[in-house]
Amino acid sequence: MTLQVLDPSSEAHVAIGELAPRLTSLTGKTVGFISNGKEGTKGFFHHAETMLREEFGVAEVLLRVKSNYSAPADDYIAEEIAQWDVVISGLGD
Amino acid sequence: MQLSSKIHEADDFNAVQELYHSHGWTDGLPIVPPTAEAVAACLEWSMLPPDQLIGLEPVRERPILAEKLAINAVMAGCLPMHFPVVVAAVTAMLQPEFLLHGATASTGGCAVLLVLNGPIRLELNTNPTFNVLGSSDRATTVIGRALRLILINVLDVRPGEIDRSTLGHPGKISFCLSEDEDDNPWLSLAEQHDIPKELSTVTVMTAGAPRQIMNEWTTKPEEILETFAAEIRANMRHYSIWPGNYAIIIAKQLREHLQAAGWTKKDVAQFIFERARIHRREWADVGKGSVVRDRGDTVYPAMESPDQLLIIAAGGPAGGFGAVIPPWLGHKSHAVTLPIGACLDCGPPPTL
Repeated sequence: MTLQVLDPSSEAHVAIGELAPRLTSLTGKTVGFISNGKEGTKGFFHHAETMLREEFGVAEVLLRVKSNYSAPADDYIAEEIAQWDVVISGLGD
Repeated sequence: MQLSSKIHEADDFNAVQELYHSHGWTDGLPIVPPTAEAVAACLEWSMLPPDQLIGLEPVRERPILAEKLAINAVMAGCLPMHFPVVVAAVTAMLQPEFLLHGATASTGGCAVLLVLNGPIRLELNTNPTFNVLGSSDRATTVIGRALRLILINVLDVRPGEIDRSTLGHPGKISFCLSEDEDDNPWLSLAEQHDIPKELSTVTVMTAGAPRQIMNEWTTKPEEILETFAAEIRANMRHYSIWPGNYAIIIAKQLREHLQAAGWTKKDVAQFIFERARIHRREWADVGKGSVVRDRGDTVYPAMESPDQLLIIAAGGPAGGFGAVIPPWLGHKSHAVTLPIGACLDCGPPPTL
């Protein structure tokens, strides 16, 4: 006997934004880091900043640290992103 | 009842299992096939239309609809009578102070602990005594499992996807218990929140694995509770120093010693609050000296106030046991208690 069963997944597709156009070069650009503030991020972002400046010609690197590493970025950070050419964020520990 | 979820067809019961496993829609255990009839029965019991918006997941703004909760509840083994608890628990998890996204995505790997209070414990035939933190009864097992399946399927909290837990723990399969209110003169967890005994509630808390304690060699409250406090201090040394909602389970044998000495839950909480604290320098004793820095003399309490301790009377009648259930990220995620089957936005009920 064929069973008819229901899909348990969300099936809801909510568009909450889209990726900005990709850049072809980082030269002269402003790059912002959004850090979750954990201990391991300090060395990581310091090294990443050095690479971006020396190897990719990035003009300015900004570091912003979330007030809660398990919550989305604070509103003031989200607003500041509009002034940046590139944002680097992600999961990490 | 008009349901809107996609319908899948399978040849038989076993084919349903393979279909759901292949989509990553299970926790690895077999599921109850969620037929339209079974799902509709859950929704009808709770008087919820299928498209009722239970809430929005706060980070990804994903709508959480009653129909999807019911599908997952049926899969977990829930009967319609269990479903109002599931709805209340999800509603509680969506409160901002619970920090749902962080709690379900964190490498810390916490589970969601559910505690049931009030008449619902008896209506669902829960067992707050023997094996209470294990498979103690049908209702709490399937309700806890429903919550996990909802996280997996409605919010994609699968290992390696949203769920980034390094370890996790067995409570992430199901972690639900009821409090032993009937064999116990203390105020219930709900009553401590000024909720009348006649109302059923669910409390949700982001929770690490239980840490069992034993002290069968004294009847003095201070000595019994020192063992609980020491276990909390151990967690602060070995895991996280941050304060927050710790839960302690006190089984009957130890409870009776405390109650015979006239100690209330408030007294217990005050004692634990004062005793469960460490100096930061103690981290050096357990291999974490590099993060002590110049703050070694700083004292860290396990709780910001005594009322952050959730004291739960539960467990079998014999044995000087108890348990400490530590928080995930105590200073950022807080336990939430909500009534079951009550409207949060409604005014008081009309007088008849």
